[in-house]
Formats: sequence, structure tokens, C-alpha cells
Amino acid sequence: MTGKKLLLRALKEKGVRYIFGYTGGAIMPVFDEMDKLGDFHFVMARHEQGAAFMSQGISRASLSSAEKQIGVCMTTSGPGAMNLATGIADAYMDSVPMLAVTGQVATGVIATDAFQESDVVGVMMPICKQTYMPLDAADVEQTVHEAIYVATTGRGGPVVIDVPKDVQNQLVADEYQFDAKSFRPTLPGFYYHPTPAREPLQQAMELINRSERPVMFCGHGVINSNAGELLRKFAEKVNIPIAFTLHGISAVPADHPLSLGMMGMHGTVEANRAIMEADLLISFGMRFADRVTGKLNEYAQNADVIHVEIDPSEIDKNVRTSVAINADVYRTLHVLLGDPMLTYKPRRRWWEKIESFRQVMAEDLRQEIELAVGDGGKLLMKSIIDKLSELTGGKDLIVPDVGQHQMMAARFYNYQTQNSWFASGGAGTMGASLPMAIGVKFARPAERVWSISGDGGFQMNAQELGTIMEQKLDVKILILNNGYLGMVRQWQTLFFDGRYAGTPMQSPDFGLLAQAYGIPYRKVETPEDIAPALQQAIDHQGAMVLEFICDPSEVILPMVPSGGGFEDMIVKRPGSEQPETSDSNGEES
Amino acid sequence: MKRRAILAFMLDRPGVLNKVSMLIRKKMYNVDTLTVCSSRIEGISRMTITLQEDDEAKVDQIIKQLEKFTEVVSAKELDTDHSYWREVAIVKLEVDATHLEEFHGRYNFEVLDQKSEDIHILQVAGSTRRIDAFLDEVGQEHIIEIARTGVTALEK
Repeated sequence: MTGKKLLLRALKEKGVRYIFGYTGGAIMPVFDEMDKLGDFHFVMARHEQGAAFMSQGISRASLSSAEKQIGVCMTTSGPGAMNLATGIADAYMDSVPMLAVTGQVATGVIATDAFQESDVVGVMMPICKQTYMPLDAADVEQTVHEAIYVATTGRGGPVVIDVPKDVQNQLVADEYQFDAKSFRPTLPGFYYHPTPAREPLQQAMELINRSERPVMFCGHGVINSNAGELLRKFAEKVNIPIAFTLHGISAVPADHPLSLGMMGMHGTVEANRAIMEADLLISFGMRFADRVTGKLNEYAQNADVIHVEIDPSEIDKNVRTSVAINADVYRTLHVLLGDPMLTYKPRRRWWEKIESFRQVMAEDLRQEIELAVGDGGKLLMKSIIDKLSELTGGKDLIVPDVGQHQMMAARFYNYQTQNSWFASGGAGTMGASLPMAIGVKFARPAERVWSISGDGGFQMNAQELGTIMEQKLDVKILILNNGYLGMVRQWQTLFFDGRYAGTPMQSPDFGLLAQAYGIPYRKVETPEDIAPALQQAIDHQGAMVLEFICDPSEVILPMVPSGGGFEDMIVKRPGSEQPETSDSNGEES
Repeated sequence: MKRRAILAFMLDRPGVLNKVSMLIRKKMYNVDTLTVCSSRIEGISRMTITLQEDDEAKVDQIIKQLEKFTEVVSAKELDTDHSYWREVAIVKLEVDATHLEEFHGRYNFEVLDQKSEDIHILQVAGSTRRIDAFLDEVGQEHIIEIARTGVTALEK
């Protein structure tokens, strides 16, 4: 047995079916072996970053399916490995398990600046959960098993195995033995506490029962532990509204009566106002990122905080907790649901208040969505997303890119399917959508997948149209083209006196581009054409590109300015009327 | 700024020191001292880091993030009331033997070598403050070269 055979044997043993990657000098032996074995479906990305996001897609989307899979990407040394870095850093920020296998120059020439040599372990160390470099073929199999254990246990994250070329080819001794079934990694420093302790649970329940104005937070941990159903039941049991982080979206149906929608910088008025006035925040599986909290010293000043989180280093990091529960979200909710101590409270005054918050922007938004065009007669992104939601019944899988359209997709699609929203959040990587959608499609082939990008982000990984073509994948591709980097433009409108530095962008003829890859295309310029075009994409068997010509002046509101608090939330677009903060609207009772 | 000592036990593997120092850099601290040695248990290293920070919560964060490393078995802060912090300095001095004798009994030092009549190499052990006091009292102008180990610490 050789290192390369053992590597592939371990991947197969762990249920890996797809390998996304790009070959090259230092990984050729493994690719050669993979081809001989025929055990894996190899997907050639057109750029290694694409391979990283494809493997993220498979990990994220398969979480809620019967067959969990860890996404695996495989590249050569040097530039091949370096091109993975963005996708790996992105996975680390968003707690997505994935495995990157990189070829490395032979051990004899490591650290001699050999051709295509990079210090992969050194580069990846701060942007992933763990790095490995097996120096003996006999270590390879065990390393893969340990790496996948580390990636998928507790808070998920990417791991990197850098395999020198000579180790790939090295033969292990005849007496080599490894039993995958009985293997348990020896990791004395790896802590994993899935079960909640009794005492903080008790304190949490007392706080919940006592609270008059509670808000529950649904974070990525709810999705990652498959606890959406439990969270919904728990919220119904205690009658507490739910606000979502960007990654908590789709854990509970978006139109659930207890839902306040997304919170934070582009969150809804009702979520952010409720948080401002809350006396208790019950947060499940989240890290209180700056995009969620705004200015920390003004954040939820009168609220106690219960924080349920699998990663102890997230507790008390940004927001001081009253009760910390370091445990798995699913297990915690399971215990809470079964406890007779928790009681239903009507909280009538609180719900009246929330209803008034809900009204602050509702009418404006409804009118805008119905109008579907901006002042210049071009399409509004929110209307496109709204129509897509209507036509698909909110049931499809949505893979947005990063920017304005992403916030629109987060806010205006009526998510009905658990774990149906896959976004680059923490890292905010433009270009993530197209390759991530490819991975999502491999994980959930029976479901419809929409990759939604702006004109900027689409062009960052547009080369993956080649992968879609080659793999004959049915991914629906929406390009919301407003000729600008929309989110930055929005900041420039609001905070830079309308100076559009570095944001206008000329795009190629997307129709010709799609045609070059043999993918049907349709351009949409009028509100009447939105629904028929989307319907055509739905009816078409296979990939299709729809380009929507969008209004560059459209803004996503409300918005909490960067570094500001929720008090500073902007709810009216500038120009039409005086910008107002939400304070002048909501009624105090 | 308050000086803090963090004691961590970790697997004795390549790259672990790199990870720890990267974390401290990421958190934008400058390490005051850092000592690593083997521990009572084979394969486990003992690391003592000192740095300056007033904010209790920030120190807690470093400790939690250190503990998050797969290789770090445990990490905690040691405060001066409940632990001994000690270091060793080796000092090359140009000083009269008679001048040195004044310090006998008051400071814990040992003459390792006398190169010539007035060139001495001493070993001084004690707390950072004690060593500083000794050097001040001897007179900084007499010091030719000095090597200090940095702090290692043990809980009472």
C-alpha cells in the first residue's frame, strides 16, 4: 500500500463521494490513483477557489440530509494551495466543515524554495481549524480520519492536509495495519461538551419565565445541529419571537408568526427594535458578530443574555452573558422542550409593540415591491426576489453571492425548506455563489438550486460556468446587474456624499458568455417579464442564466450604519424624504 | 498596564508555538516573556507567557482561544498572589569584587566565573522585580552583557 492509496481509502471510508479540485505536479500521484480506483466522482473546478466553495456547498447542504457529507477539495502545491485560501478562510468564519488536501513538494526539497513550493501549513494555520503534514505514508490514513473528526466535531471548520509527493508514493511496511472502525483520535486538548449542564439550564428557565420582553435568536448553530424544528416548537411553547442571524435563516419558516426576520445591520425594523427594548435575549448557536450587534456599548442594554453555544471561546467574547450554556443547540433545546418548568406567557403588551415595529416599514416595502422599478425605470432586486419566492413557494435552495442582492435574498425570500440558504457570511466573499451552488446541487440533486449574484460577484468566479457545462448541472443562475458594486455604492450614497469611487463596472455581454458555455440565457428589463423569465428557468431542464437589469440607486433598508447602534437605524431612503431613524416611527407604549 | 502570566500545557509538536504566537499577534499583544519547557508528563510542554493587559475579559478571551487549539490541553492565568514567578539572569559585569560583596546575603546570586580582576559573570535568580533591583543597585553602568530567561511560574 502507498500513501496515495491510503489517503483515498480513508476518504472512501468516511463516505466521501465527490472530490472537487485541480491537478498539478505535486498531487498527480493521488489523481492518478483516484482515476485508477474509480471510487470518486471527480469535479474539475476552473479555479481552485471554486473547488473550495464547491466543497463548502456539499458540506453545508448535506447537513440536513440523511447522508451528511464532508466536502473535499484537492489541489496541487504552491499556487494551487494558495488559491484555496480564500475558500478555506471563508469556511472557518462560517463554521463549515471541509477538508482540503494539497500536494506538497517532496520532503527532500521542502524549505529550499522548490518549484511551486509554498508553506501551506504556515499559511493555512490561522485560517483553519487544524493543519496536518504527514511525513510518513503510515501516518496518512490516521491523519485523514483525525482531520475529518476535527472538522466535523463540535463547531465545524475546515482542515488542511498537506501531503508531500514522496509520501504519496511511499510504500508502507507489510505489517502496516489500521482499523478505521475502531479508530478514535487521541486529542487530549480537544474539548467537546455537547450536553448542557443542569444549573445554567435552571437559571435560563427562570429568566425565560420571568421575562416580559424576550427575544430568541436563531444562529448558524441551529442549522448546523439540525435543530430548526425544535427551536420552532420551543418558541411556540414559550411564545417568544425569533430573530435570525444571516446564517440562521431557513431554520424556521420565514413567515412563521413568531418570526421577526433577520436582525442586525440590514435586519428588519421589528427585529432590531425588539432587541433594543428586550429584557432578555436567548441566543442559540451564534457569535454576536459586529454585523449583528452594531455598537456594542449600546447593544440591548437592559437585557439579560442567555447564550447557548458549542464553542466556549465565543461565550462572553463580544456580549457579556448572564447565563452561559456551553453545549450543542439541539441537545439543549431537547432538554428545554421536555421541561415542565417552562411556561407559556401571552406577553400581550410585548406583542403589540412588536406589531407596531412591524408596521414601520411594511407599507413602504409593499409599495416598492409592487412597483418593481426604481426612478430610472430599471428593475428592483427586492421585487425579483419576491417574485422568485412566490413562483417557487419559498421551497427552493438559495445560494446568494455577497452584497446588496444577498441582503435582498435574505429578507424577501419566504424560506420554507430547512437549511435552504447558503451564503458566505462572516468572510463575505464575493464570487462564492456560483461554485457554492455547484456543491449544493451535488448534495441535494432533487431540489432546485438558484445561484443569485450581482454583476460584480458573478465575474469573480464566472469561470465555473465551465464546471456547470461539463457536469451538466441544473443550476439556475440569476445575475442582478445594476452596473455597480451595489452594496459599496449604497454606502457611498449614504456616507460618502454620493461619490462612486471604484464601484461603476462595465460587464461583458452575459448572453454571449452563457452562449459560449452552451447555457441558455434571457435578459429581463421590464417588471412584466420577471415572472415569465423565472418560470422559463424553472421549466427548463438544466442550467439557465437570467440577467436582470437593475436600478443602481435601489438601497436595502433598514440599515444600521457601520459602527453605529440600533438607535441610528436608517429606515427611509435619502433624497425622497429626510432620512429618519426608526425612533421617530415606532410608538412607545 | 497590569502584567499577566498565562500558563498553558500543550502537546510537544512542531507548529504549536507558532499557533500560540500567532494568536497573541492576532490579538495585537506584544509578548513580554515566553518560556517553554517539558512538563512532568512526557510529550506535554509547559509554556508560560507574560504580557500586559488591564482588561480581565480580554485575558479570558486569550485563554479560551488558547484552549480551543486542539494541541492545548489546558490554559489558565496565574496571579502573583497565588503563584511564584521567577526568572534567571546571567550577567557579565565590570565591577570590583569588593563592590559585589556588599550584595551577598541580600540577593540570590552566584559567581559563575571571574574573567579578570574586575570582570565577573554572575547568575541571579528571583522575581523580575528582584533581579531589576539587583541590577539597579549594582549599577547599570557596570553591566557589559545580560541574558534573562523570561518568567516561568508555578502555582502555590
